[in-house]
Amino acid sequence: MKAVGARLPRYDGIGHVTGRTTYVDDVRVSGMLWAKALRSPLHSATITSFDTSKAEAMPGVHAVITHADVPLLEYGHLSALGIPADEPLLAKDEVRYKGQPIAVVAAEDEETAMAAVEAIDIELEERTPLFDIRKAFDADAPKVHQWGNWYTHFEGEMDRRQIRKGSVDDAFDKADTIVQGVYRPAAIEHVPLETQVALVVPEASGRLTIYSCTQALYFSMGVVAAHLQVPLNKLKVVGGTVGGGFGGKVDTASETMCALLAQRSGRPVKWRWTREEEFLCSSTRAPWHMEIADAVTKDGWILGRKMLTLHDSGAYGRFSPYGLTKHSFHHTGAYTIPNLEFDGYVVFTNRVPTTAMRGFGVTSVSFATETHMSRIADVLGLDPYEVRLKNANRIGDTSPNRIVYTDPSTVSVVKALAGGMDVELQPEYAAMSRDPREGDLLPEHLVGQMANPEDH
Amino acid sequence: MAVHKGRGIAAIEYPTGMNQNGDPSQAWIKVKPDGRIDVFAGTSDIGNGSKTIQSQIVAETIGVPYDWITYDNSNTDSSPVCTGTFASRATFVAGKAVEKAAERVKERILDIAGKELEIDPSDLEIVDGEVLAKGAPQKKIAVPDVAAAATWTYGELITGTGAQLKDFASIVDPETGEVDSPPHSAISYAACAAEVEVDDETGVVRVTRLVQVYDVGRAINPTLVEGQIEGGAVQGLGLGVLENCYPYYPSAEHRGGQFGSYLAPGFEDLPQIDTIIIENPSADGPYGAKGIGEMANNAQPPAIASAVYDAVGVWVTELPITPERVLRALEAKAEPTRNGKTFVFDAELSVNAVAQGGIAFEVPA
Amino acid sequence: MNLTVNGTTHDVESGPLATLLDVLREELGVTSPKAGCEQGGCGACTVLVDGEPQRSCLTPVGALDGASVTTVEGLGAPESLSPLQQAFTHHYAAQCGFCTSGMLIAAEAYLKRGGTDDREAIQEALAGHVCRCTGYVKIIDAVAAVARGDSFDLTVTAPSPGMTNLGGVS
Repeated sequence: MKAVGARLPRYDGIGHVTGRTTYVDDVRVSGMLWAKALRSPLHSATITSFDTSKAEAMPGVHAVITHADVPLLEYGHLSALGIPADEPLLAKDEVRYKGQPIAVVAAEDEETAMAAVEAIDIELEERTPLFDIRKAFDADAPKVHQWGNWYTHFEGEMDRRQIRKGSVDDAFDKADTIVQGVYRPAAIEHVPLETQVALVVPEASGRLTIYSCTQALYFSMGVVAAHLQVPLNKLKVVGGTVGGGFGGKVDTASETMCALLAQRSGRPVKWRWTREEEFLCSSTRAPWHMEIADAVTKDGWILGRKMLTLHDSGAYGRFSPYGLTKHSFHHTGAYTIPNLEFDGYVVFTNRVPTTAMRGFGVTSVSFATETHMSRIADVLGLDPYEVRLKNANRIGDTSPNRIVYTDPSTVSVVKALAGGMDVELQPEYAAMSRDPREGDLLPEHLVGQMANPEDH
Repeated sequence: MAVHKGRGIAAIEYPTGMNQNGDPSQAWIKVKPDGRIDVFAGTSDIGNGSKTIQSQIVAETIGVPYDWITYDNSNTDSSPVCTGTFASRATFVAGKAVEKAAERVKERILDIAGKELEIDPSDLEIVDGEVLAKGAPQKKIAVPDVAAAATWTYGELITGTGAQLKDFASIVDPETGEVDSPPHSAISYAACAAEVEVDDETGVVRVTRLVQVYDVGRAINPTLVEGQIEGGAVQGLGLGVLENCYPYYPSAEHRGGQFGSYLAPGFEDLPQIDTIIIENPSADGPYGAKGIGEMANNAQPPAIASAVYDAVGVWVTELPITPERVLRALEAKAEPTRNGKTFVFDAELSVNAVAQGGIAFEVPA
Repeated sequence: MNLTVNGTTHDVESGPLATLLDVLREELGVTSPKAGCEQGGCGACTVLVDGEPQRSCLTPVGALDGASVTTVEGLGAPESLSPLQQAFTHHYAAQCGFCTSGMLIAAEAYLKRGGTDDREAIQEALAGHVCRCTGYVKIIDAVAAVARGDSFDLTVTAPSPGMTNLGGVS
């Protein structure tokens, strides 16, 4: 029998329906301590004094960890992509978002750990926070980040991600109509049913066994190894069975904090985030601000696009520069637009750092460009299916970053959708395919876009 | 006061694999003395079903039943590198590593079977756990017997490794964004139609139906594909009309810290969902598969926004499309401002209206 | 005090204000109910108490002396799956699986009180149970199938009702 293409049952399905699948929180070890974090109560502040001695002296408290206990305080998740480190594991002199971890405690039970967190003496001097990315560039804007209010380390030390192709000015000159709009999708929470959880067990061999809900075992192992400055053979990450992730369990930090607490206390340490922490302190999908102006002809060709994107990264960079790059590569959506001018900025604000989430970087641009596409059809009085089919990318067209499309399916999916909605397309549209452009579908403005896919 | 119906559509594309690549996945496989197969890979199963999909790929590639496969992604001591389950890469990238490892295992099985049958391995195939001579299937040896022979006769561990690593795509010109190679492993495509009902008295938008088309390349397991598409659809609905960490963004206040105050979609929000799958195979994915896990929540928000316009004649371009936003838009009944041939929508939201400093978005007159 | 869990009676040592969820998970080692929110908002901790579904995270154990509690472990084992457990497998109603225990218990209660295969009735009965993976479609399919009295082939899974496969098209 064939396995590929078959509706086979889920490999771990029986475990799920009998309650026997073992998630991190279901692992049982003896002598386990519970971790809790002191988190910043303010959006932006300077830490003026900080004393953990009372907490450390409390009965039942086995370890308190602060920035001073972390061998490498800042680790860059995407240093391999040239994105430098900016975020401390635990805050040192300042806090940049409400909920930022400052210290972690391990104690005999959750209540004791919470009491110890409350016994930490800390004084903060509140600063004016910045929340509106549209105001981040103002001269008098509060300063959020050590690099300024926006990321300045794209290739060539550019402070923005830029796409340039063809001549937008020519396209706007030639256009019959220009359609301009603004699109602002919200921050949302990942809402995995399993909150972030880690359990670290110090082994007799000196190794640490790290039970983790990570979406990325090796990624997380690299993070812990870097912060602890240990080789990978000192760590064993156990996981692979995760109660939902959606992108929010790639850059988890709880493993590292539990590892430090386990090293310090010599005991297994578990940290299971409360749902409130998950909602209020875990990373979110980013809010975005996108402005698009498209140069269009009266019969629906898109000649050029000018676009500005502001990506609300929250207080630190994390994966945002990567997400914005991905966003820029896809800012023409499923269409071929020959003249482009895109500028995108990763902007820092005093909110929880944003991170990857399902569709990272592209969910936003799909919302903006497709809503815009519908507006164009409406302004021009054209059929929304047909405008899409006309501009759809075809074999041999080139993308914003000059990659040749070899197997685009835009035409296929739009035609199939029309079929599914019982919408009858005009014959010339019903006859379209993804084959290279010719005839009426190769107007002058697209001639220069054609490449031979065989060459690529 | 009435409930108005509307329809809107969207068409999208999405890259499979980590943007710019450089993200390896590796796998290794060993065969037990009775022919049962142990697969070791480092791909977390976050509900997406990678344990299932990768097991199916191994069963298909070697030619043995699915229930012969044991899949172990449980720890970094036994599993090789996988950067992880993100970027829609678990089937495409990690699945490809598993496929390559399974091909090596198959080669070893055929080689040993060839010795046992005294037939050239290139004239053999594996079907349902048996090695058969092509064109003469009466000449055969069961895979368990091959595994036993490897163990007890030839002193060999049948094993295979596989790795998938696409080269890093460098941005060769930061001014233009030009790259030197594709920054994706494949591109998937989708289209979505939303049908909504908008109550012009309460402002409530109810999504009643989503019709969705996905080019999945190849559905390794159609049921799991549906699971991704249906789950993504409801997350897309949440993005469109319900969810918001910061109800008064950009303010950071009034965040919901409970399920009661953060509107994740529930049973009551579920629309009718019709799914159409297209299988235009990718050149490089395992069995032609593409990655569609993430894009599954990208097409609904714009389709819903267009459907709301179709229903009540206002564009709400700040998500989510809450009752408050709908009512405010209905009250304003904003038309685009005309500036020569330019139609300017949403001028009140533009940085042109608020920016003082380094950036401005202006359009040539 | 004592508590009967899935047919076995235990002396409970935790104090009366301990939640039933903590008693089950931490004292008795019954881990199918999950601490999804500990706010009563997600449903992942739902168990049957004397036949009625309750959020164990909000239930102080002190009020339950002598009560009988059923969790998913009590519905059926891998070799003796209940109809609902079979249906959740056949209809692919669990992806990450973390909400599944609560869904099964709520569905069990719905069917025990005579619930039908009416999709809206199922949606209403399970409302308040959050699933982030499935989009709920296949959970409803599974519950409806049991209400209809379907039997289930566990070697394959069922397609969704609204599914069309066009194959390769240009």
